[in-house]
Amino acid sequence: MKTLNVILSAAAACVLLAGAAQADQLQDIKARGKLVCGTLGTSQPFSYQDPKTREIIGYDVAVCGAIAKSLGVPMELKAISVDARIPELTQGRVDILAANLGWTKARSEQIDYSYSYFVSQQKILVRRDSGITTLEQLKGQKISAVKGSSSEQGVKREIPNAQTLTYQDGSASFLALQQGKVNGFCASELVLVKLKEQTDGSANPVDIVKKSLFVEPWGLGIRKGEPAFLKHVNDTLVKMEQSGEAARVFEEWFGPATAYKLERDFKIEEIKG
Amino acid sequence: MTPRFDLATVLSGEYLARYVTGFITTMELAVAAWILAFLLAVLLTVVRMAPFKPADWAVAAFVEYHRNVPLLIQILLWYFGVPELLPNSARMWINQQNSEFFFALVAIGLCFSAYMSEDLRSGIRSIPGTQYEAARALAFGYFRSMYYVILPQALRVSGPPLINQTLFLFKNTSLAMAIGVAELTYQAKEIESYTFKTFEAFFVATAVYLTISLGIMLLGDHAARRSQIDAR
Repeated sequence: MKTLNVILSAAAACVLLAGAAQADQLQDIKARGKLVCGTLGTSQPFSYQDPKTREIIGYDVAVCGAIAKSLGVPMELKAISVDARIPELTQGRVDILAANLGWTKARSEQIDYSYSYFVSQQKILVRRDSGITTLEQLKGQKISAVKGSSSEQGVKREIPNAQTLTYQDGSASFLALQQGKVNGFCASELVLVKLKEQTDGSANPVDIVKKSLFVEPWGLGIRKGEPAFLKHVNDTLVKMEQSGEAARVFEEWFGPATAYKLERDFKIEEIKG
Repeated sequence: MTPRFDLATVLSGEYLARYVTGFITTMELAVAAWILAFLLAVLLTVVRMAPFKPADWAVAAFVEYHRNVPLLIQILLWYFGVPELLPNSARMWINQQNSEFFFALVAIGLCFSAYMSEDLRSGIRSIPGTQYEAARALAFGYFRSMYYVILPQALRVSGPPLINQTLFLFKNTSLAMAIGVAELTYQAKEIESYTFKTFEAFFVATAVYLTISLGIMLLGDHAARRSQIDAR
């Protein structure tokens, strides 16, 4: 009984702490003189460590930097794990998330999403010797994905009877594909392009199924109940779109000069559920 | 603004169903691994006590490997490593089966058989040799001496540590999520990533683990008291 009491009061304490009142965040950030931006730091080319300078750079970092600039304060980057994204935000340890944050309805009930600043094509990687070329052929098959990713949720939604197996990270999910434990690996196209390149010419080449499984808008994550800050972020993103800066940043990280050679086929806009 | 602590969401509809299937998988894995571990532990103990040195060394090596390598690594090795040693057709066949569950079961079962065999062995060694001599003097043979005199006492001594191992085994089934076994922790994590209700999702899992663990402890206590010899 004593144990139970301790647990319950600890739980209650957490709840109370989380509920502590906050002033307007936009004012707070300006008064504090810096914008703390949570980012993954392990997700090339969104946020990753530059091997030369050891600094975290990337598309997510550039977008967050633009928000900081619009506020007239310097940006402080905080590297966080996929799992820790939402707690770090809701507990106030970061002001904003630029961390591969795919929009889903359930998630949008916990945090606010800015307008989408990236749209991810979610595709499926298969072994070339499997002969799979269409999504239809993957019906009822085992498909791997990273644990907790929206790719996994997408597979369940889009492919009837597919069984998803989730692993801790992308490399384990890919290993499972190569070893034949699964027939497909679902992830963002950007991740898959790299893996395909690496295995071209090896004994075990892989291919990407052409048709996207689904597209996923990504937004910046902001705590609920901060309308002024959210509006400022959205206004800034819209300005970036209008001035052409958004397209320029995209080009810098995904354009013809990069390994990805992507076309920008989206515009910054409100995410509609 | 959503409520701060809202168990209703994670305990409704699809999410509740996830907890239930996760719980069932956890229990299946725990019970199956426990049976494997216990039977193997008895075998290991018998082999180790046989008067044949190399058998002793082999069991000792088995035990030290399983005690000194993290269980997570053992699980990953079984799942990603061992099938690669098999011929291609066998490997493909295994992959079509529910191999995640199978390899998790084998890894956890083997690991805890090592611990349990040590508990059993300590129990047997705690019984003074004179007990065995007395049994022999009463014209019991080796097996009957073990069965009627040594083992009943040894098992009583081994009881509490075995309950402890059972608890550890039960909790460590959560590591099976690393290879995609959809047990309770896996499902709690899924629910967390669907809803972003971190605290609530793990709170429920915590409550379930705690309930079962306390249940095992109470049962163990009860059994220990029942098998106690009345003090003179």
